[in-house]
Amino acid sequence: MINLQNIQWKIHLAEGATPNPHEWFKSFGTWIPDSPEVFVDVADYSHVEDGPVIFLSGHNVAYSLDGAGRRLGLLYERRQPADGSNAEKLLESFTSTLQHAALLEADASFTAKPDFVAGDIKFIVNNRGIAPNNDETFATLKPELEKLFDKVYGPNAYTLTRDQDKRQRFTVHVKANTWVSVNAALKSLA
Amino acid sequence: MSKELYTSDGAKYWRETLSEHIIPEWRKNVDEFEADIALKKMGKIDFKLFAETRLRMGAYGQRYDNGHRYDGKVVRQIPFPEEFKGPDTYWDAPGMQRIKLPWGGLNAEQMELFADLAEEYSDGICHITTRQAIQLHYIHIENCPSMYRRLAALGITTREACGNAVRNVSADPMAGISPADVFDVTPYANAVFEFLLGHPDAQDFGRKFKIALSGNKDEAAGLVNIHDLGLIAKIKDGKRGFEFYVGGGLGAVPYAAHLFSDFVTEDEILPLAQAVCRVYARLGEKKKRHRARIKFLVADMGFENFRDTVIAERAKLTPDPRWSDYLKNIDRFQEKPSRPAGSGIAKTGNAEFDFWVKTNVKPQAQAGYAGVIVTLPLGDITSNQMRELADIVRKYIPDTVRTVVEQNLLLRWVSENDLPALYADLKAIGLNLPGAESILDVTACPGTDTCKLGVSSSRGLAGELRKQLAEKSTHLDEAVRKLRIKVSGCFNSCSHHHIADIGFYGISRNVGGYVVPHFQMVLGGQFTHNGGTFGIGVGGIASKAVPAVVEKITGMYANSRQPDENFHDWVDRTGKATIMQSVQDVMEVPAYEKDKSYYVDWGDVREYSVKDKGIGECAGEVVTLTDFGLKAADRELFEGQLRYEAGDIVSAGARAYQAMVFAAQALLKLNDVDISGNPDVVMERFTKEFFDTGLFNDPFAGPKFAQYYFQGHTHRGVGLDKEKTSLFLHESQLFVEAAHSCYARMSMAGTSTTAA
Repeated sequence: MINLQNIQWKIHLAEGATPNPHEWFKSFGTWIPDSPEVFVDVADYSHVEDGPVIFLSGHNVAYSLDGAGRRLGLLYERRQPADGSNAEKLLESFTSTLQHAALLEADASFTAKPDFVAGDIKFIVNNRGIAPNNDETFATLKPELEKLFDKVYGPNAYTLTRDQDKRQRFTVHVKANTWVSVNAALKSLA
Repeated sequence: MSKELYTSDGAKYWRETLSEHIIPEWRKNVDEFEADIALKKMGKIDFKLFAETRLRMGAYGQRYDNGHRYDGKVVRQIPFPEEFKGPDTYWDAPGMQRIKLPWGGLNAEQMELFADLAEEYSDGICHITTRQAIQLHYIHIENCPSMYRRLAALGITTREACGNAVRNVSADPMAGISPADVFDVTPYANAVFEFLLGHPDAQDFGRKFKIALSGNKDEAAGLVNIHDLGLIAKIKDGKRGFEFYVGGGLGAVPYAAHLFSDFVTEDEILPLAQAVCRVYARLGEKKKRHRARIKFLVADMGFENFRDTVIAERAKLTPDPRWSDYLKNIDRFQEKPSRPAGSGIAKTGNAEFDFWVKTNVKPQAQAGYAGVIVTLPLGDITSNQMRELADIVRKYIPDTVRTVVEQNLLLRWVSENDLPALYADLKAIGLNLPGAESILDVTACPGTDTCKLGVSSSRGLAGELRKQLAEKSTHLDEAVRKLRIKVSGCFNSCSHHHIADIGFYGISRNVGGYVVPHFQMVLGGQFTHNGGTFGIGVGGIASKAVPAVVEKITGMYANSRQPDENFHDWVDRTGKATIMQSVQDVMEVPAYEKDKSYYVDWGDVREYSVKDKGIGECAGEVVTLTDFGLKAADRELFEGQLRYEAGDIVSAGARAYQAMVFAAQALLKLNDVDISGNPDVVMERFTKEFFDTGLFNDPFAGPKFAQYYFQGHTHRGVGLDKEKTSLFLHESQLFVEAAHSCYARMSMAGTSTTAA
């Protein structure tokens, strides 16, 4: 049994997206005073590759425009211990990720609206101590993930693939068989 | 107490898995720290005591950890839970972890670990510091024990990475492979690190203590001249030893190290270092932080007296076998290449590759091999890049990586024949940036991004300079290309701005009632010769004007330098007044209403300040007089610097003092436009209205800069020798800047008219 902690979700931007880091920096900056979350500051890492681009530091949760794996997307990262069952933690964190993606899609300050693909997701356990990246962890967590994604995409409407690189954290690529919008995914979880 | 009280599943896993793989002493350190965290959470340890404990483990505070953040309009409270890990430092606020890497040594397995740690506990970024350490930001204090265990299992301790202790023992990253080296200082640097780590004689300092080793005198090497204690390799009568230096340091006021002995044998360096530590611990200042570094002790005692005291202390030491035991195992630091020697570095015709070779490849003393600098913009590398770089390290070199004080990584023992393939591999992971050790490779401390002391955005400015200079890189004049730019967010010189050709440190200025981010420009320092010459501040420049000023000055240098004239000599010959005069046209700060961009710092979107709503039209006139007085102080100081350079020490000292008087008087004008210019009156009123009230206190440095004024008032710049005059000019500069900052703070707080 794994007590899931340090959950990360990455919801990818559509292929070919070229987000303007400065605009993301500004947008994240507005979350600090306006959100019920405890956010602290925004950091610009647009000068490096294959990692965070713009990072919004927070107490319970951090968000970033993330370019790790050379795919851009919104990364949700739980930083403090979370309570509840694994199913509850997965649902709460994934819903929060989608809600914040929707927030960004609705942000009129972007020159080009961020276009998220809610059917192209990465699930990461950012804690090698509790979830080694192996088949055993996958076997343990797969049913919990299926329970969530059956609800989001429908049974047999998606695939779950574990990242086989042993040096990476436990990572599962969730790919829906059809294109799914953020709002549609949120609606299915309502 | 149950250990489960302070153990998450992840923390428990690392403790159970790794404890047996950690040196017992280091394991004890981590176990104790973990217990301290639990006790602190139970309210059984005072937060001040806990603060010192965590600092000694390298766990620092970070900007906004006091729960306040200015959002461009107002200062807002960050609603952290009410628990503290230090004075005014919230428990849950993200912090910074500094991780020492003695002599900058790093191997592939450790690189992979850093990648993992940055992902799991930080923000996916490893940051290389200017003292060869690695810093991770946005760390939660409760993750530290797991992190320490994982590091310790691979031979890395964070102990004494901060606090009043011996910090990272640094060394020239080219040690042993530089053609200029007398011999490889790596084993000696490691011996100093191991000997002094946790040594009882090095636990009771008033401040930090930095040590560096160099293999030669002429190159920048280990920058011995700016260290508390430094060693430069030397061979005498066929025997290995070192020139032994003490008392250097940058900080707010730079001090050149004193040559303590021109030859100390290799078996004598540890006991002599121990004796220095004992004298520093016993006689060094403990209460006044700003006078607590060893450079002040040496200055206060007089160098000869200090040296005699150390020699007497050395004579009293009980012999310790560790003083020379390490010499038996010195061969273990011998590096052997993993690939056959190459056959020279030829131009390929590929302009991109050839330029990279020119700037990033350093021929080794060993024929056929080269050191390759992996340029990291702003010292940053992502976790994935670090992991992939570890693969490259395994492929091409014998696990011999070093961190570099210019915030890069050095791959040693690259076969010259492998350079094209290595370049292609680096390019594939975005680490093929050219321009190492050049004007493109701007060094910057964290500044306002994450440092609590930052005044201006050093990383923002450095990033902008890098970007603008890179666009012109292939057309840059060769002499300009070789220049070094270093940017610090405040006066503390973490980027080493004093030894840059062109250095900057963050200040703020009041312009028309708005506080505007500025940088003080420091010209003429020298990185070579172990950081041999310190530059001098020449004037404050608005952050947004700095790139234009750099372009103009480097253009002047390219056009008017004499053959083989370096920048330092060109600055001397041209004169700082002429240089500053020539950049006046790009220095002007436009009115707020005309161009708001000057009122927002680089790398930020928030307005740097708001208009001082506490000052009405009448008060506006008072502000003008204060501005005028501060400007007079700037001018007087600049004149003093010019007189100093011209050899007129008497006038330089007097002007440095007068600049202080002008600055203090300018502040007093906020309440009394008729304030006398009599130095005694100014001192008395300043003490009463600004010092005693705490108004002048720097938010972080406290009364430090006022003390410079008090000391200056006792001698008034008269009767000082050349060295002391130079120091006094620096102190005067800092006092004047502090007056500007005080004025800016009061403007922002609307207290300009309530100073009395």
